[in-house]
Amino acid sequence: MRNLKEIFDNTKGLYGYRIIENSVASYELFFVHKSLETVRSTDSKATYVTVYTEHDGRIGDSAFQIYQSMSEDDINKKIAQAVSRANLVSNEPYELTDKGTLNAALPTNLDKYEPEELGKQIVDAVYAADTVPGGSVNALEIFIYKDTKRVINNRGVDKTQTVYRVMIEAIPTYTDDKQSVELYEDYRFTVFEPEKLTAEIAEKMREVADRSKACKPGKELNINVLLRPHEIRRLAAELAHDQNYSSIYMHANLHKEGDDLQEGDCDKLNITMKAIVEGSERSAYFDDDGAQLFDTEVIKNGIVCGSFGPSRFGQYLKVSRPSGDLKCVSLGAGTLTDEEIKAEPYLDCVSMSGLQLDLYNDYIGGEIRLAYYYDGEKTVPVTGITMSAKLSEVLSSLRLSEKTDVSGAYEGPVRALLKNVSVL
Amino acid sequence: MPFSTYLDSMRKDCKELVSELGKSFDYVSILGSDVRSAVYRADRKTSMACEGEGECGFVIKMHKGRSFYEYSCDDVKGDKKALANKIIKAVRISGELTDRQIKAAKVADEPMKKDFVRETDFDNYTDEYLLGVCKQISDEICGKDEKVLNGFGLIMPYRVSKLFITKNRELSQHYGWVNGGAMALYNDGKMVHTRHMEGSDRLSEVIEKTKASLDGIIDLAKHLVKAQPIKPGVYDIITDPSITGLIAHEAFGHGVEMDQFVKDRALAKNCVGEYVASPITNMHDGAAATLSVASYFFDDDGVLAHDTQIIKDGILVAGLSDLGSATQLGTEPTGNGRRDNYRRKAYSRMTNTFFCPGKDKLEDMIASVKHGYMIFETNNGMEDPKNWQIQCTAEYGIEIVDGKLTDNYVSPVVMSGYVPDLLKSISMISDTFKIEGSGYCGKGYKEWVRVSDGGPNLKARCKLG
Repeated sequence: MRNLKEIFDNTKGLYGYRIIENSVASYELFFVHKSLETVRSTDSKATYVTVYTEHDGRIGDSAFQIYQSMSEDDINKKIAQAVSRANLVSNEPYELTDKGTLNAALPTNLDKYEPEELGKQIVDAVYAADTVPGGSVNALEIFIYKDTKRVINNRGVDKTQTVYRVMIEAIPTYTDDKQSVELYEDYRFTVFEPEKLTAEIAEKMREVADRSKACKPGKELNINVLLRPHEIRRLAAELAHDQNYSSIYMHANLHKEGDDLQEGDCDKLNITMKAIVEGSERSAYFDDDGAQLFDTEVIKNGIVCGSFGPSRFGQYLKVSRPSGDLKCVSLGAGTLTDEEIKAEPYLDCVSMSGLQLDLYNDYIGGEIRLAYYYDGEKTVPVTGITMSAKLSEVLSSLRLSEKTDVSGAYEGPVRALLKNVSVL
Repeated sequence: MPFSTYLDSMRKDCKELVSELGKSFDYVSILGSDVRSAVYRADRKTSMACEGEGECGFVIKMHKGRSFYEYSCDDVKGDKKALANKIIKAVRISGELTDRQIKAAKVADEPMKKDFVRETDFDNYTDEYLLGVCKQISDEICGKDEKVLNGFGLIMPYRVSKLFITKNRELSQHYGWVNGGAMALYNDGKMVHTRHMEGSDRLSEVIEKTKASLDGIIDLAKHLVKAQPIKPGVYDIITDPSITGLIAHEAFGHGVEMDQFVKDRALAKNCVGEYVASPITNMHDGAAATLSVASYFFDDDGVLAHDTQIIKDGILVAGLSDLGSATQLGTEPTGNGRRDNYRRKAYSRMTNTFFCPGKDKLEDMIASVKHGYMIFETNNGMEDPKNWQIQCTAEYGIEIVDGKLTDNYVSPVVMSGYVPDLLKSISMISDTFKIEGSGYCGKGYKEWVRVSDGGPNLKARCKLG
């Protein structure tokens, strides 16, 4: 990095430069049933450089990658090409991030382990849940990462962040005389808690056993649908990203500040984009510009109230203090209790192929792989069904649970209730 | 531009490392990747000319009768003994996992030395010209209608160089591909975005076809602002080639990735030799099956590209495998071992996946529908190979009434259902054929690789919502 800085400091005709260095060390285990199929390790560094030029009162920029294999001569050729490209690019002027040094690590306990020891303990924690008769964890992939990101620029930014994180892909499966069924699950964490991991996979083992008993409901339903955190995060993130500075600048945002997304009697949306959500691997102290991050409320009481995003587009919109590129979504708790949920029939969606959202077409829907159908008296697992509704209508009657939790880059209610959804 | 001079200079280092690691393992391979891309983009307010995602590094694969080992790194220069020791240390496992290791047959290492090249026309174009084309596309879109909020032009060429070395094998390949397109943001009481994407090994073709698509993009936008949601139900459908491809990809492409056979994660494993689709249905996959975005010469395991027939006259006949899954299943690998990049594992992955043309005329197919929809443009899809559920989202559909396309557009359209029900309902197949080469495919929610899919128009019956 020092050599690069010297090269750029001696390059004429630059308005500025930014260097992002991402180092990744990983240890990975891949299991087929309970057998170890592949062991992997990576040790790599990717360096991304952006050069900025000023011409005709405008700013041009161009990015490129520097590889370990490159000589100084190669790098100089790359810089010359990037400067030439930047001179072709014409964007509104903006300031690069100014000053700031930092060397920080996200809270973790993963750094206490040697990778092969942590891998073994994760394997034990996962298979400790593999106790359901007829059930098994059919495939397991474990990725243990140490990511180090450093951003420097010509204006005095020099920030480094280290993130230890684990990603696990587990496939709970249930087999009986008639069929074999599975659910797909991934788990991401920065703090290893074996009992919590075992408990989460054990719950999935019970649910996949239920999938084997699941049938298609005998009739078309118009029913309250419960979404879980994975899908709630998708909904909240979609609504929030409509308010990204770049979307607004490009005229691609559907909703404007002051728009009321929920005109009915419901739990109002309170969505904040955050830098840090405890336990989330997407948490960050700074963004790719090296800019400090500021949590920003984008929807308050169901009304669009703010926007967020990288500094450049914030400056274009005359935002006094751009938020920086925030990655975590926080949704405020609602008032929905377990007792209220049970007061009416509902469909509790355990697993979907993927929640489909289309703000422009006012659509929410998707195929449901497993849900629990409560008809007012009894609860049965169901499958092979598809839900669809008008997004504006479900938002205006939305209920959000009192209970909250953290899931990936999301913190917020553990259930969202969508009223009167068509299920075929 | 020729094969990567850097990789070419690393042949000797790779052979030395293979030899050094060969003291500890029965099979050692090294895949070197040097992938360079560029992005040219312009809209009403901004422009971009820069490198896109690329990679330059190595992955070393090792095997000795039990688990496979892999190590990914940026460079293999220097003291080979020290590097070999570092690699062996990096992939060591806890002693308690030793008993859990698989047992797999010895990996074949048939001798071959070959250099593959497919030329492009990329060097005929300058940065200035390509960015100028993007600006021209953007300006033309914005100038076509006052209701256009923004217009986008995009060109993304990339070049791939890969070197594969084992004790007995030395392969290199170099080829390129370019995706490009145009998009409009349009607001007439309702906001919509419409796009046209192209892919080719020729920049000239992508530029020409994209420029010719602009009127169609605006015309579609004018229809889509009036589009309504579809009434959920089961309908007769006619697919355009991109939706045909999406069905091929999601319905049976993922379902026959044979690493899923090893894990008992694919129902198709038990259905080879059985009818899984209508008897008029034929389906292929392969890097050598057609020329598109996934047409390489050898895969990331050093296996030469194949053309694999998956479904023949409605019967499932074969799956797609990488080296690891084929070794465990005792089959021949089909050239489908692909990595997101050199830092990631190789899995069994699709390449160019398509249904074969039939004998019907599209106009006869539309005329045969009493009430249904013609479905256009892939948005996304999800598979469930274990339970054969499918979800495919199309950008829009046009209602067919009494055998004629109407002016009634619906959007979005989510197709879902049980794969055999959908494939067995295929009753007509057009005599036309088109491959869409601008897609990406993930495994689960990661491991993204470039894929193409397509085929003719299909007439089928399925659930739309």
